Amino acid sequence: MRWGMVINLTKCVGCYACAISCKQEYFLPPGMMWSRLLISEIGQYPRVARQTYPVLCNHCKEPLCTKVCPTGASQRREDGIISVNADKCVGCRYCLIVCPYQARSYFQKRKEYFPGQGLTEFEKVGEKLYPLQHGVVYKCDFCSKRIDDGIKKGMKPGIDREATPVCVLSCPTKARVFGDLDDPNSEVAILRGSRKAIQLRPEYCTDPSVYYILG
Amino acid sequence: MKRILQSRPYEFMIQFTPQREWIERRGILVWLALYFIELGAGTFIVSSIFGVLPGMFVGWLICAVLGGGLHLLYLGRPGRAWRMIISSGWKTSWMSRGLYFVVTFLVLGSVQMILTQRLSSTTGLLIITDFFAFCTVAYAGFVMNFVNGIQLWNTALLPALFTLSGVWGGIGLSIVVASSTGAEMIAIRLEPWTQVFLMGYAFIISTYLVSVRYSGLAGRFSVRNMLTGKWGMLFWGLVVSFGILFPVGATFLLRVQSSIIANTFLYILIFFELLGDLSLRYCILRCGYYQPMIPSTNFSF
Repeated sequence: MRWGMVINLTKCVGCYACAISCKQEYFLPPGMMWSRLLISEIGQYPRVARQTYPVLCNHCKEPLCTKVCPTGASQRREDGIISVNADKCVGCRYCLIVCPYQARSYFQKRKEYFPGQGLTEFEKVGEKLYPLQHGVVYKCDFCSKRIDDGIKKGMKPGIDREATPVCVLSCPTKARVFGDLDDPNSEVAILRGSRKAIQLRPEYCTDPSVYYILG
Repeated sequence: MKRILQSRPYEFMIQFTPQREWIERRGILVWLALYFIELGAGTFIVSSIFGVLPGMFVGWLICAVLGGGLHLLYLGRPGRAWRMIISSGWKTSWMSRGLYFVVTFLVLGSVQMILTQRLSSTTGLLIITDFFAFCTVAYAGFVMNFVNGIQLWNTALLPALFTLSGVWGGIGLSIVVASSTGAEMIAIRLEPWTQVFLMGYAFIISTYLVSVRYSGLAGRFSVRNMLTGKWGMLFWGLVVSFGILFPVGATFLLRVQSSIIANTFLYILIFFELLGDLSLRYCILRCGYYQPMIPSTNFSF
């Protein structure tokens, strides 16, 4: 089993719903984004196009971050998800440096969204629900808790909403599809094969589990 | 208001994105820690080969206190550093391997110094200790070399450059310690080696920059930034002028006039050499740029 995602760029409208829903779901503090949108321009005036790439941790099959982790805090699970055990992380940030996709974030200390005015009620709830440890690296984990809980309840990630990552659920154009890349009948595997999906920067030989359909 | 990391969303990983974690704010400690670890271990190697016990102690001390201490200070959770020892990270992680090298070197080095103090014959132990000291000098280059997203670092010449500069710095510091503790003859024997290593150092820097220049767009951008960009003054001023040209030129002129260089002037030359080396490492860390992740024609160069 290898959980993966296919993002259809022809459907993406660049609305930031994925990035904001992720931030909201995990009450991420200012400066920390696990899901982002990269927006670039290609071409020369007057023929200019705008490209939007939603990016997140690629959950690589050959991850560099787990190889360099000196404490074993970064691990690749059997289902392909790269997770960080915050209790083991020593905060050396080698994983953050070595990730060519820059998908990791270091949590120094909690900052307020409104500096000088204290934490809002929303932020206080977030601190209780997801107490982030200081001096530790965090990243997208494909909403592994939702996946694990869903599977325990007999649900199928990517199909049942409760067991699917929030960025996939929040996408208004259904540009994101989640599922098992090793299952040839899954939607992600079919999309990957039929639409000639590409990985970002394959030259790094990390074999990302996030694929993009360019059109 | 403090600047938030990656606060320019229209540039992050779309243009060449600088690494910041190991050079900005607390990251400055990594720069110093890597330098002092190598300088300390290099000094220990050179002093042990030439029998300068105070030099061995100074090298050991620099490596343990400055190198190790700064590394610990940088960690987000220094209290968990013991986890790096018990984990099996050494199989794949150069940082973990480096920790083993440093710890083994420090333990064996202290035993070596005690035995040398008691005038025991310790050739076998000396070889093993120097081997681990050498690994300590070399590992930082491999730590950075593993980062394939940064072309400036992802070259086999980087470990060679760091190793050479670590030993070269060690020679300089050993000369200072030897001449200031009365071992003038050893200092005189060591002095020509600084010139040899200085030539090798200059050669590797130029080869390194040329090879990175042709390794890809990010490499080209990094080298351009280092030579003619924001950090050009630092590179040409401290690294090249004070760190290489001034010591070479001054030594040559003094050699023409007399065969022995005054101690004070030698100390000044060595100080500038070490300062130049430290500045080079700053430039290398500062000019480490990631390749853009997605296609764009909006590069800033």
